[in-house]
Amino acid sequence: MLKLKRSSNAASRRALLFPILLIAPALLVLLSLSIYPLIYSITVSFQTETASGLVWTLKNFTRLLTDGFFLTAMLHTLVFAIAALVLEFSIGLGLALLLNSQTRARGFFRATLLVPMMLPTVVVGVVWRLMLNPNFGAINGTLKRVGLNTDVLTWTASPRLAFLSVVIVDVWQWTPFVFLVLLAGLQAIPQEPYEAALIDGSNRWQTFRHVTLPLLKPAILIALLLRTMDLLRVFDQIFILTEGGPGFATETISLYIYRTAFRFFDFGYAAAMSFVLLALTNVISTIYIRLLQSKEAT
Amino acid sequence: MKRFGKYLVLIVALVAAVAPVYWMLTISFKSEVDHFASPPAWFVFSPTLEHYLDAFVNRSFGQYLLTSAIVAVSSTLTALVIGTLAAYSLARFRLPYNLDNKLSLWILSTRMFPAIVTAVPLFMMMRDLRLLNTKLSLVIVYTAFNLPFVVWMMRGFFAELPRDLEEAALVDGDSRIGALWRIILPLVAPGLAATAVFCLIVSWNEFLFALVLTQTDEAITLPVGIAGRVTQYEIKWGVMSAAGAVALVPILVFALAVQKYLVRGLSLGAVKG
Repeated sequence: MLKLKRSSNAASRRALLFPILLIAPALLVLLSLSIYPLIYSITVSFQTETASGLVWTLKNFTRLLTDGFFLTAMLHTLVFAIAALVLEFSIGLGLALLLNSQTRARGFFRATLLVPMMLPTVVVGVVWRLMLNPNFGAINGTLKRVGLNTDVLTWTASPRLAFLSVVIVDVWQWTPFVFLVLLAGLQAIPQEPYEAALIDGSNRWQTFRHVTLPLLKPAILIALLLRTMDLLRVFDQIFILTEGGPGFATETISLYIYRTAFRFFDFGYAAAMSFVLLALTNVISTIYIRLLQSKEAT
Repeated sequence: MKRFGKYLVLIVALVAAVAPVYWMLTISFKSEVDHFASPPAWFVFSPTLEHYLDAFVNRSFGQYLLTSAIVAVSSTLTALVIGTLAAYSLARFRLPYNLDNKLSLWILSTRMFPAIVTAVPLFMMMRDLRLLNTKLSLVIVYTAFNLPFVVWMMRGFFAELPRDLEEAALVDGDSRIGALWRIILPLVAPGLAATAVFCLIVSWNEFLFALVLTQTDEAITLPVGIAGRVTQYEIKWGVMSAAGAVALVPILVFALAVQKYLVRGLSLGAVKG
């Protein structure tokens, strides 16, 4: 099995040429469209436009510390990410456990749950604007029909409910993803440890705590890692649903960067904020990956 | 009783997943008077195609649809060719200094960049290259965006094949490229197809880059076209729903086609479900 690898390793430099030629186009694309933009962005973030042209400054970075919009947007992003993550994980795990033993309904259920997750995020935004519209939205309309007073349920029109709305929409769209990954993880667990637990006389909670959870840990970490990365950069649904409003009640960091760059055309400051976001996602993904690797080692 | 409770939970979950989409579909088929019906008409209304005609005949949604299709297909094909070659190399050859593993991880990490981080400099680059408001700019950006995904998925599929296959072909006097083309690619064809479908879905759904890079009717994609209608003051709910309904049809077909590889694709190859 290792033959090809070893022979290419031992052979002359010419043998290396082939694998390198195969990777070269991909590297070229990524260097010019992922890495070069980042470098470009760094230089822009250290420049500001003045009357006498572009000058090199740290102003864009010092401004971060005193910018209320930035700090609020960071806070919104974190609260949004944590709230959505907790809900998506608990509901997703619950459904996965429920369906793990259920073989007959599983296929149909899986296929149906695909729907929210695969939708274009813009369509998700449209769908929920239609659902949540205070005048003709299906939610308030249906609640009214069963006799509830919906006057206070203004959803995207009031700051608090708007924030709740964007969390609900993300949970609606992405809980199926957590569910699917965890279900796949559950089904990969072999029967033997469960039989052993049964013989030892473990009760259901003990079995879950000491058998299911440790064996499911890699799938859990991967689901959480991918969700966290997506949640921290959330943009599309909120842009469609509330555009960050009312006021700035649902403005996350990606929306604020967008506003700074493409409404105020302050690219330097937008770039500086991007690096904070990039650093944040980097730190968090590194933590997850460490946890994953420590799991694999044991 | 316990069984009943279980089914109740599952049914509630199913209804919650599907009802909002169904609601949008009904809006797209309802005349404007029925939109504001109280109580909401979930099932009984007289259907009409006026919004579909309005969107795709009177307005430019037909053009947006075409742009979306062109951009999605071209970027998927480009990413697939470039990415599959790299994936094969990374799965089969060992480079000095453990470079093959380092490169794989680095390629994956570019996928983790938040989109807005690269959107700002890419906008400036495309502006300098005079590529704003062109389909080409979107094809280029989506190719780069899909590339890490293709590399990781295909690397996994290649690694699952025994190496003896190519060795036999090489012994028979086939070239390396010949062995890849004639022996290996046919064997990973299902994986390749699934990867392609995922790329199509991602490109079709993509919004932020399209929003930033295109503003004119010739180059905007369906999601941007829909979003443009949402943020106007007088919102045409029917038109928006009709366009949304059309945007989701190919996605649902695609998603059903890749069901088997769904978990694997969505977790970037990490979970083999």
